[in-house]
Amino acid sequence: MASVGRAIVRVPRKVSKGQVFKVQMVITHPMETGLRKDKKTGKIIPAHYITHIDFYLNDQLVTKIHSSPGISKNPYFAIKLKAEQSGTLKVVYADNKGGKWEKSVNINVA
Amino acid sequence: MLSRRDLFKVAGVGAATLLVAPGFVGQSFAAKKSLDDALKEKLGITQKDLQASELIKVKAPTIAESGANVPVEVSAKIPAQQVEALYIFIDKNPNPYVAQVDISPANGEVYFATRVKMGKTSPVRAVIKMKDGSYLSAFKEVKVTVGGCG
Repeated sequence: MASVGRAIVRVPRKVSKGQVFKVQMVITHPMETGLRKDKKTGKIIPAHYITHIDFYLNDQLVTKIHSSPGISKNPYFAIKLKAEQSGTLKVVYADNKGGKWEKSVNINVA
Repeated sequence: MLSRRDLFKVAGVGAATLLVAPGFVGQSFAAKKSLDDALKEKLGITQKDLQASELIKVKAPTIAESGANVPVEVSAKIPAQQVEALYIFIDKNPNPYVAQVDISPANGEVYFATRVKMGKTSPVRAVIKMKDGSYLSAFKEVKVTVGGCG
């Protein structure tokens, strides 16, 4: 899949100061457990899954998710953050095969 | 009376069992872990150390359509400052550990949502590690008709 590792990060368009808002994201990823067998060849499909997702708010690590093969294919994650000031939310995520990606979104605090 | 021939037979079978057993046990152990194994590996605790808490809310469907994709939402009415991390375990999955989320005061609220795979009907368990070293837990039983662990 060419699009492995592509992500969509969604935040509210505008938040007021002090408000707790939701950050949602979806990553395109097969999330193979390493336990499944290919039905045609009978060979075990090697594990391929997201290992961690780091959320940086203005270059400060605010949340770290340690993922595992127990998470569904094309994983969805949601966390909450408290709005203090405007800035960028950078999401850095990696998989067990060395894939590493990042995605940034702006946060507007009114 | 045990003849010489019988003795050899018994000894032979015994030796064969001994040879096979360790390999077999090791293999089944690697493929399937219990909740206690997962708790020990990840947190160094057993199920007895978990305190049931009504402050934690686990939202998940009572009956999941497909085990490959079960939405789970965990929220807790505990100040984020007191929480170190949040864990999700599926008791009866081949590997019960699903995710760990390190919470910081910047989160404002203790909240995490995701979608998980479930092999069969099992409790979905949220464990919260507090800064004072205690562990709070809550779970919701989810019925699975079609498993999704491959």
